[in-house]
Amino acid sequence: MGMLRVMSRRGDDRVTWDLQKVEVGDPEALAAIREAERIFHEERARGATAFKVETGKPSQRIEQFDQAAEQIVIVPRVVGG
Amino acid sequence: MWESLSLLLGIWLLFLLIAIYYLSQSSDSSVGRWRDSVSEHLSAESRARALLREMLTEAQYQQLIKFGYLEVNSPSIEHRIYRIPGAGGLVKVYERGCAIMELCLQPTEPLPDADVVVMHKLMIEANEQEYLQKANHFAPGIISLRCQHL
Repeated sequence: MGMLRVMSRRGDDRVTWDLQKVEVGDPEALAAIREAERIFHEERARGATAFKVETGKPSQRIEQFDQAAEQIVIVPRVVGG
Repeated sequence: MWESLSLLLGIWLLFLLIAIYYLSQSSDSSVGRWRDSVSEHLSAESRARALLREMLTEAQYQQLIKFGYLEVNSPSIEHRIYRIPGAGGLVKVYERGCAIMELCLQPTEPLPDADVVVMHKLMIEANEQEYLQKANHFAPGIISLRCQHL
């Protein structure tokens, strides 16, 4: 399962997808991954930063949506305070 | 004396009960909105804490609980540690145990405290140079000293 988590004032909003079902063309899984990708690009356009987070590996900043990622966490735009 | 006090207490309790009754009857009142807002806030905090728990190792989580901060090693500068406060505030930077600066960086959208900790951790570990570029830098202790005089 892949998961996109978008940080917001509500905590984090989540979209999950099943990569195995995506690979066999399951319509629901395809819709979920399309939605995750749409949100990813929308948030990136607003200045957010995306990180790929995987168990036992260092976090990695990503510029493109990675459907194989275990988890993608999106942090809103930041500024010096 | 005691009779007067009892009477006053009784009147006060009566007003309190009437007030509670009217507030509970008004479903579309400011109290209802306040209740929803509190509920949303608690839910957001709970989700953020769950994310934080997932992102930290057991040792890191224990450090945050016990000391109120999380220490993250710099991925590129040897002997540098970033100390992220668990309840908001400046990130303190130490090299070989000495405080060298404090950093202020905040999200443009308000986030629960636990999410802010995760935000700092991810940015330091995966995006340290941009983190340092975007943050405002302060000499160590300056903000704390200023606050003590207020």
